[in-house]
Amino acid sequence: MARQLKARSAGFAALILALALLGVAPAVLREYDTQILLRMLLALVLAESWNLLAGYGGLVSLGTSSAVGLGGYVLVGLLNHSILPLPVVILAAALSGAVLAALASPGLLRLRGLYFTVGTLALAEALRLVMINVNQFGGATGLFLNRDPPALGALVWIAVGLLLVTLLVMEFCAHSGVSLLLRAVRDDQDVAAQMGVRPFRVKLAAFAAASALMAAAGGLQALKLGAIEPYGMFGLRWSIDTLAMVVIGGLGTRAGPVIGVVLVMLSGELLADYPEAHLALTGLLMMLAMRFAPRGVAGLLAVLPARWRARTTGA
Amino acid sequence: MSANNPLLATHNLSKLYGGVVAVDKLTLAVPRGSVTGIIGPNGAGKSTLIGLLSGALLPSGGTISFGGRDVTGLATSERARLGIGRTYQIPRPFLDMTVEENLAVAQWACRARVRGASARGRRAELLRECGLSDVATQPATQLPLLRRKRLEVARALALEPQLLLLDEVGSGLIDAEITELIALIRRIGSWGVTIVIVEHVLRIVRECCSQLLVLNFGRQLAAGTPVEILASEEVATVYLGTAHSQGATAQAPNAQGAARLANVAANPDALANAVSAREPLTVLVAHRPVPGAPAVAGAPLLQLTKVSASYGQVRALRDVDLEVHSGEVLALLGANGAGKTTLALVISGSLPAHGRVAIDGIVVSRTRPGGIAALGIAHCMEGRRIFTDLTVEQNLRVAARRAARPEVAARLDAVYTLFPVLAGRRGDPGAAMSGGQQQMLAIGRALMARPRLVIFDEISLGLAPIIIDRLYETLALLKQAGLAMLIVEQDVNRALAIADRACVLEHGALAFTGAARAVREDARLRRLYLGEAD
Repeated sequence: MARQLKARSAGFAALILALALLGVAPAVLREYDTQILLRMLLALVLAESWNLLAGYGGLVSLGTSSAVGLGGYVLVGLLNHSILPLPVVILAAALSGAVLAALASPGLLRLRGLYFTVGTLALAEALRLVMINVNQFGGATGLFLNRDPPALGALVWIAVGLLLVTLLVMEFCAHSGVSLLLRAVRDDQDVAAQMGVRPFRVKLAAFAAASALMAAAGGLQALKLGAIEPYGMFGLRWSIDTLAMVVIGGLGTRAGPVIGVVLVMLSGELLADYPEAHLALTGLLMMLAMRFAPRGVAGLLAVLPARWRARTTGA
Repeated sequence: MSANNPLLATHNLSKLYGGVVAVDKLTLAVPRGSVTGIIGPNGAGKSTLIGLLSGALLPSGGTISFGGRDVTGLATSERARLGIGRTYQIPRPFLDMTVEENLAVAQWACRARVRGASARGRRAELLRECGLSDVATQPATQLPLLRRKRLEVARALALEPQLLLLDEVGSGLIDAEITELIALIRRIGSWGVTIVIVEHVLRIVRECCSQLLVLNFGRQLAAGTPVEILASEEVATVYLGTAHSQGATAQAPNAQGAARLANVAANPDALANAVSAREPLTVLVAHRPVPGAPAVAGAPLLQLTKVSASYGQVRALRDVDLEVHSGEVLALLGANGAGKTTLALVISGSLPAHGRVAIDGIVVSRTRPGGIAALGIAHCMEGRRIFTDLTVEQNLRVAARRAARPEVAARLDAVYTLFPVLAGRRGDPGAAMSGGQQQMLAIGRALMARPRLVIFDEISLGLAPIIIDRLYETLALLKQAGLAMLIVEQDVNRALAIADRACVLEHGALAFTGAARAVREDARLRRLYLGEAD
């Protein structure tokens, strides 16, 4: 117990140090690299939250874009039309994600498995169409940010803060009884109910938390761009990219999102001149992961050393 | 007993599935602290009743009250929180968790009751009570069926229920294990938990229950003390089978059923309606190897030489030798975990193994299950394994894909003649069938391939005695038609009554083998099954 605690706090210290380094990085890195870093941070927030939903809660969502887009629009709208300070606006963007989840939950969370997935996709598409067709929200051209956006370095700092919050939420959900409840509902919702678990509440909590984090990330994305339009902010790309990163990295594992984000984004940078090749490679990796490594690269890393040891001692 | 203030009561409780009435205006009362048994033929509505009480199913009419409170409209999770725990007939553990975590779910969901260190202690205690201490940290996926059943009980107890609904926890257990289970149920009762048992194992009902309820077609047929009920003529006709009417001891139904079976086997005309069923059996039973398949003249139909198999690190079979000749019936006996089902899986090619498996003298050790099936070996798997989303007829057709259309039609007719109840429900989905009908369907499906040898794995699991009688009568007819069979069965008497030879597995190795009659008399068999000292 004491050793576990010590390991845990050592892990936390390392994490804080890493996050601090990330925060300092903009001072050292070139502008382009800092852009990449920011994209990675946001992708990591999305991947972690999606992993909470799909990996731990069994809610495989294709609606990442709805939270991202909504967060972006709420942030730009509030910054343009109110005098609220930026931190409050970011919080409001996050809150909008949670409210969206709560409003959609009576319909969506009663759907199971594939039907839930299709339902989230429908929600995302519906939101995108609303944004395109309602002129008050800028229609197809979108909205411009009136205020001056923060400097790139400051954005990285905010993103690091958001990532820290995300990791704390994940830590709580993956290492306490909450993880038991989530996994019970994921494995067999009916049996979970028979054990006194309230499946709807558990799913709603995960859905709202993940959507809030995603919406906050969407807000930061809008802040970085300075101008938003519905095709980009509500694009299916957010949902698919996030899913691909987590599946490759390791669905339902703690390390999965980090590994997936780094692998996919790194290969993207290496193949920057051949975007089609990157897309094909990501697709191929995903197929390989689904077929041979249902727990992704993280799952392989956990299993392979033991297998090697078994082979060397066996031979 | 305070009959005026029962813990659980239902009033005119009904459940309809489409037009089918599963539970029909049932009114019952379960006194606090009692152990109530519910018996009845398959399809009588017992599992539906458990579903209604636990909240998994919504009633079509009537009310349920628990502890004086109307809980009819209450969700499953809320009923669980009030203290209604249940087990599932087919275990449904959280496969992705360890055994101990499975118990922790209920404790976490209802944190108000048990928490912290005392929760961990309580888990250890429950695992010890249910005989699962040694696998506490193992993933639940690794547990075999019968230990999963124990996990069902332990997990339901982790809820600290006031009322425990046990749905067929005794099926598939051998006598020694049933003795343990009875002791466990009594201990749970002594903690003050009220228990409702749905069970086909009469010994459990007789030794545990203070009151007994018989359901038939969703209605209460009889109620009273176990002694009264088990002696009743009416109950005997619908449930126990006619042979049982005067017997009330543990071995009686089996022994008498077996005697009756032996009678059928020796004198087929004794069973008037069975004679008409014998005619079409040639359509379902092949005598010769599949044309074109290689064969060694004079070789046994099936021969295993030094066959071993393991699950990961666990050795499940060690150097097993056995033979089945054409038209021969071999009973495969042994305690739970002895490796019987593993052996069945190895033969049908579903599980890779070391050693030599030969059909007609040709080694098939590396042949896939489809290839083995094509050679005329059918496997009627443990737990029925029917396709629940397919209709009855589709289930049957799946097994006869290779046959020509008129041939398939003839086989379907033959299966429907053998099991008329299936004919009436040919368009219904497999999931809608009762346990007995599902088992008939599983047998019918195995026969649709027109096999030479069928492996029947635990076909009596979870079925009413009268249904088991009927199934074994069918098997006797198939034997007459010349079908070779490998019968895996917990009910030793039934298996030995129909078998020519028997082999007994112990800890994955062949303990002894011989003519069925000789094995029946063997003291080693009694020791194995009854747990008697040497």
